[in-house]
Amino acid sequence: MAANDAVAGPALEARGDWPALARRAWRRRVSAQAAVLAFLVVVSVPIILPYFWMVVIAFTARTGGVSSDVLWTACAVIVPAVILYSIVHMMAASRGLRLGAVVVILAIAGTLLAALVGSRLHLDNFRFLTHSDFVEELRSKATSGAQFPSVWTAFFNSLALALSQTVIILTVASLAGYYISRFTFRGRNAFLQGLLVLHAFPAMTLIIPIFLMLYWIGLLDTIVGVMLVLAAIELPFYVFVMKGFFDGVPWDIEMSAMTDGATRRQAFRLVVLPQVRVGLIAVGVFAFIRAWEEYIFVRTFLIENKNWVMSLYLFWVSDDVMGVDYGIVAAVAVFYVLPSLLLYVFCQKYLTQMTIGGIKG
Amino acid sequence: MARIELKNLRKEWVGANAVAGIDLTIEDGAFVAVLGPSGCGKTTTLMMLAGIYQPTSGDITFDGARVNDVEARGRNVGIVFQSYALYPNMSVLENIMFPLRFKKIERAEAGARAREIAALVRVDGFLDRRPSQLSGGQQQRVALARALVKRPHLLLLDEPLSNLDAGLRLTMRTEIRRIQRELGVTTVLVTHDQIEATTMADRVVVMHAGRVEQEGAAEDLYERPDTLFVASFVGSPPINLFDGEADGAVVKVHQASIPLAESTRGPVVLGIRPESVQVAERGTPARVTAAEPMGREVLYTADSDFGVIRFLEAGAEPRHREGDSVHLHVSPASALLFDKASGRRIDARIAA
Repeated sequence: MAANDAVAGPALEARGDWPALARRAWRRRVSAQAAVLAFLVVVSVPIILPYFWMVVIAFTARTGGVSSDVLWTACAVIVPAVILYSIVHMMAASRGLRLGAVVVILAIAGTLLAALVGSRLHLDNFRFLTHSDFVEELRSKATSGAQFPSVWTAFFNSLALALSQTVIILTVASLAGYYISRFTFRGRNAFLQGLLVLHAFPAMTLIIPIFLMLYWIGLLDTIVGVMLVLAAIELPFYVFVMKGFFDGVPWDIEMSAMTDGATRRQAFRLVVLPQVRVGLIAVGVFAFIRAWEEYIFVRTFLIENKNWVMSLYLFWVSDDVMGVDYGIVAAVAVFYVLPSLLLYVFCQKYLTQMTIGGIKG
Repeated sequence: MARIELKNLRKEWVGANAVAGIDLTIEDGAFVAVLGPSGCGKTTTLMMLAGIYQPTSGDITFDGARVNDVEARGRNVGIVFQSYALYPNMSVLENIMFPLRFKKIERAEAGARAREIAALVRVDGFLDRRPSQLSGGQQQRVALARALVKRPHLLLLDEPLSNLDAGLRLTMRTEIRRIQRELGVTTVLVTHDQIEATTMADRVVVMHAGRVEQEGAAEDLYERPDTLFVASFVGSPPINLFDGEADGAVVKVHQASIPLAESTRGPVVLGIRPESVQVAERGTPARVTAAEPMGREVLYTADSDFGVIRFLEAGAEPRHREGDSVHLHVSPASALLFDKASGRRIDARIAA
């Protein structure tokens, strides 16, 4: 009896403390969340602010000096709004309440922004989309006579380069990745190690030999030349990534398809490829964006202005009008970054899986 | 449907002998289980039957025709993998129809055949779902339907029940048996689970280290195991094995000795099934060291003059406790004798 009491005593005492323990746990959870949130905000400011600034300048700056007052005014509205929302998010119990808070805060912030900076917004800086002689208008014709092609020439060159990269890399990386994943052959390990070494090797060091080779082959100053060079340099990595995805597809499925009457090729197309869909999307998007943002190789291998891609166009625009009109440089930058941004937004969930190489059933 | 023959079938991997010469005949419409521990070559044999692996040497014949060089897709073999290997990107109906894509069959007829087989294996209620939305048992049925829809010469089942929980396993055992009977398809089941093998198949082939140890009906394997391996592998709880010495008239095991009915000499192994040991008035003295209730019976472990011995007694409640002294009687008809060197059974019986 006495022994029983000794056991029951502390248990009873603890029972009285449950609400206090729950409160303490809740406080701990909230403060931990707040700390993480604060850290993320602080870290993301230097990333987000320049982009935000770029957009603000593109839509507000006029020829002549650049002023940052619009930026600071906008920040003065948006930062409190974000902080307010994060507090509401942590405190609000229900989804409906949060949603309501979002609507209210967005409405207030939107009205304030419209009232404070609405009159400063304009689209003049985007005139480069329709007028290819905007540089001449800004500077004397002597310094920049007919130097600039239409932005659309550069845009479609970039698009051609990026799409061809996507197609080449998807085709070669999926076939090669499959082969390396499934077959044993002499030198397989050496090949795999070679892929990694090639990936680790800084391709920039090859820029002069590649330049000379392109010159001798006759592909210097052509988009095709850049396509081949970029694909060759990027492929080892993507082959390795695709191999990882194929490694994750069970052999059983393929064997099953083949006993079901499929040829190896049919099994690959009908059963294996759909399994690595995520990998294909991720590799395709990365290949596209990588080619879209390419600068060093195109800067070296493309010379004539009809071969310019978007990065070169941006470079020459900023080279020519920097200090005169920041607005136009920012507008070109916004136009340039838009396709990458859209791709990222829509394919985010696939991209995050790329490094894992995992597959979800 | 076909009569399958394996003649001296071998498969060598680099530096390893997976299958070291198998001779086996599977009659048309028979249900044969290949039973063995992991690594005994049973799955390799199955893959050779399916045409996924090429045999190193030996022949596989379907109805007398050699099929060694026929590719997997030409053999018309249905296979159910342990993982089911359903195609995650296709619906249940598409999965079942998949094998018909490669035959010259009208889409409408293929659909009808797929639905018919789906009804037979009872998955017709969720033909539009994806495999990931099905339970393990349902996935298993779909895999079975997919293997059967092409009306295969031979159905291969690779550990089909090992991913299911105990209750489902019982249901699927009867289901697979029912479907096999209904269609009369020649079936080979590969498993490491003796219950699966003995309950489902007409004949059981026990494999060990790439060879067939014994082939026969379940009761043959249990009552008349050809080798020490079969005796120890078949039966649960496992048989008691004791090293002994036969000197013509008796077998001496540890401190005990058992009289022989027929004369034999040399080192032997004595095998006693746990259920052929009874607690009696007289017999070998033993001390119970553990009593494990298993539901309908109790498994005891005891120290006896033979050494550590396990025996079963009917009844849910343990009648002997740890530390109790008992006398054990071994029924002579059920004890088995094996030659220690070769591991083969000796037909000499022990005396009553």
